Amino acid sequence: MRMKLAFLVTTALIAGPCLSLAADRGGVIDVATIGEPPTLDPMASTADLVGIVTQHMFETLYTFDKNWNVTPLLAESLPEITDDGKAYTITLRTGITFHDGSEMTSEDVLASLGRWTKLASRGKQAAGFIASMEAPDADTVLIKLTQPYAPLTSLLAFNNSAAIVIPSEKQAEPMAEFVGTGPYMLKERKADQYIQLARFDGYMSRDGESDGYGGARHQYLDEIRFVPVPDPNTRVEAAVSGQYAYVDSIPVESYDKLKSSSASEPVLLEPFGYPVFVFNTKEGVSSKLEIRKAITQALNMEDMLAAAFGSTDFYGLDGAFYPESYSWHSDAGVDGNYNLGDPEGAAEAAKAAGYDGAPVRILTSRQYEFHYKMAQVAAEYLKLAGFTVDMQVVDWATLTQRRADPALWDVYITHSPFLPEPALIGALSTSSPGWWDTPARKAAVDPFTSEADPAKRVELWANVQKVIYDELPLIKIGDFNAVAAKSTKLEGVDPAPWPYFWNASIAK
Amino acid sequence: MIRYILQRLAGMIVVMFLVVTIVFVIVRVTPGDPAAVMLGPDATAQDIADLRSRLGLDRTLVVQYLFYIGQLLKGDLGQSIFLNIPVGTALLQRAEPTFFLTIFSLLIASAIALPIGIYAAYRRGSLIDQAATTLAMLAASIPSFWLGLILMQFFAVRLNLFPVSGYGGPGSSFGERMYHLMLPAVALGLVSSALILRFTRASMLDVLGDDYIRTARAKGMVERKVVLKHALKNALIPILTVLGLTAAVLVSGAVVTETVFGLPGIGNLVVSAVLRRDYPVIQGALLVIAALYVLINFAIDMLYLLVDPRVRY
Repeated sequence: MRMKLAFLVTTALIAGPCLSLAADRGGVIDVATIGEPPTLDPMASTADLVGIVTQHMFETLYTFDKNWNVTPLLAESLPEITDDGKAYTITLRTGITFHDGSEMTSEDVLASLGRWTKLASRGKQAAGFIASMEAPDADTVLIKLTQPYAPLTSLLAFNNSAAIVIPSEKQAEPMAEFVGTGPYMLKERKADQYIQLARFDGYMSRDGESDGYGGARHQYLDEIRFVPVPDPNTRVEAAVSGQYAYVDSIPVESYDKLKSSSASEPVLLEPFGYPVFVFNTKEGVSSKLEIRKAITQALNMEDMLAAAFGSTDFYGLDGAFYPESYSWHSDAGVDGNYNLGDPEGAAEAAKAAGYDGAPVRILTSRQYEFHYKMAQVAAEYLKLAGFTVDMQVVDWATLTQRRADPALWDVYITHSPFLPEPALIGALSTSSPGWWDTPARKAAVDPFTSEADPAKRVELWANVQKVIYDELPLIKIGDFNAVAAKSTKLEGVDPAPWPYFWNASIAK
Repeated sequence: MIRYILQRLAGMIVVMFLVVTIVFVIVRVTPGDPAAVMLGPDATAQDIADLRSRLGLDRTLVVQYLFYIGQLLKGDLGQSIFLNIPVGTALLQRAEPTFFLTIFSLLIASAIALPIGIYAAYRRGSLIDQAATTLAMLAASIPSFWLGLILMQFFAVRLNLFPVSGYGGPGSSFGERMYHLMLPAVALGLVSSALILRFTRASMLDVLGDDYIRTARAKGMVERKVVLKHALKNALIPILTVLGLTAAVLVSGAVVTETVFGLPGIGNLVVSAVLRRDYPVIQGALLVIAALYVLINFAIDMLYLLVDPRVRY
């Protein structure tokens, strides 16, 4: 008997730690989101919310690892690129099945990429460089370009306006059936109530360790339900009460309240992204570079960030477009051009530039309260510098419409997460509202987008950043952090700009 | 009587036509673009133009209006731009929480307001009357969403007795869904009770001073019978009117309360449709809400016939 007991105790001591390392399988989680996604077709929208939900259902050829390097997902490996950078051979993983049970082949990939280049904003961006796409065999896709275009793999990896792979016979627009290859599949959607995703039993995960969005994708949870909770105060209360396993986008001022909760804990993504003031370089008062420089000279970024985010726990002063944790980080152009807060000097500069008192129309929205707060501080600094300011506070839908018309605004306020590939930054495109289109932009951006060598691209990006500071098509205000909340029982969820739950589990 | 009903129905058609036209114009002249919202922040101008064309938004207002009227005449409220389902289906999907929220709120409001209003009128000038009048003023001045947040904080977060938000997950039973409506119904019911209480008290005060009440008392009728049978019956017309109007307001969607509690009701649908500029949903929802207003008013007028035999149409 004693021997038996000793054996059991010894076995338990050895097995215990091993068992505790393995995540518990099973369970359902509710995830509170900021609203209902406008669509469940990730090709059709660049909205973050669409990407957050649909990345569990659909997959792309590539994705990003925890260091934001492109890593294969449905592709077997990174593409083989010819020396001239004009042909990409993509080998597909075999044995991948869609949620409807059919097997993924190069025909599906080809049809999906065709839909992507016709429908998705990022696909159309790539389409201008694509000469042809073909499928030499069932497991290979060949993309030929008209000229080298280095951002292609990043564009193929992005989760919104995404190059998802769907069955070739299910390419309808608008999407009629939501059939992907992801670890979870759509079970039921009740708009404004929930989106119910259930584990896809036929899912074939990559081998090895999980690595950011890449690597192995575990399916510990039986179901993931995304529930729209549009009111930010309600999201905070719901997190404190523990009603949801994960609550996205919590106002930073509720951070301390969350810390005191026994049911949930804050998740801080540090840094998340950066607010920007985009100038209208095409028409109006800010079309003149000297005026843009005077406006920039007047602004005190620290005051704007403090008004918007309250504590330095949630923001950082940094003029570089990528923080130090990214390989793209560079200080080029920042010194002497960022956070000047010199309204007197700005007044002189504006006068020298021939400023005639025309109102600077700042287009902003209270959809994102921090935009509005920054606009208020900016307006006061601009007034000190002698500018006439016309604050145009509208809802987000109106802003997205008005910013498309160069006659209606001079500065509009937006923000962006740190995108894994700088070529994805919208303001670099000549057609993006702001319409930055100068010889200096072309001379800096074109070599950057066509260079294939990663090390050289980092140098070329530094040059693009320098030109941005020289010509000021936009002003970066600083870095800010994002706060979310997760249940104390939820495990395997890392802070991410587009949170994912395929590796999540519930501790029992 | 039949002539009156026909006249009212004709009037309803005119009202609905005006509502359709005014809503169509207001929605279209409001800035904002559903295509830009749907495509997201990084969409290009060309993408937006393409989608506008696909949605038929690039056609002239007159063409769009005539097309819409044609759809309505065929009984079709249109297709939601974002939900990609018929507007009628979207409204039906949202009807349950709004309907039961209305019923519960009205029950709570009536249960509070009617007895207190009657008693306050009966004991005019007493401490209870003064307290009831003050509380009614207080309730009327409290925004329902604020009261909702307070109730949420106490009953859902601190005591964990109710869910903070939502309407139950997949497969939730009818009882579970109704459970999610309790806190918002109390918030709306308390606020709505103020108006009903004041109307009940005022109406009862009018009636209690009438000659026939004095006669009933002189005949030795018990006081409870005087108040609840003779006085209340005659005081019901204004009370019914205010109950009907409150119901109409609640059915049209307790917009803010539904948003705060994350209820997928008609109010929430209208708010999200406005934010997304989902034109067909805004138009369809407002049309249905206007129809409900008109129908509820019509129903109240018909109820007058039952409560007061003197009423003739």
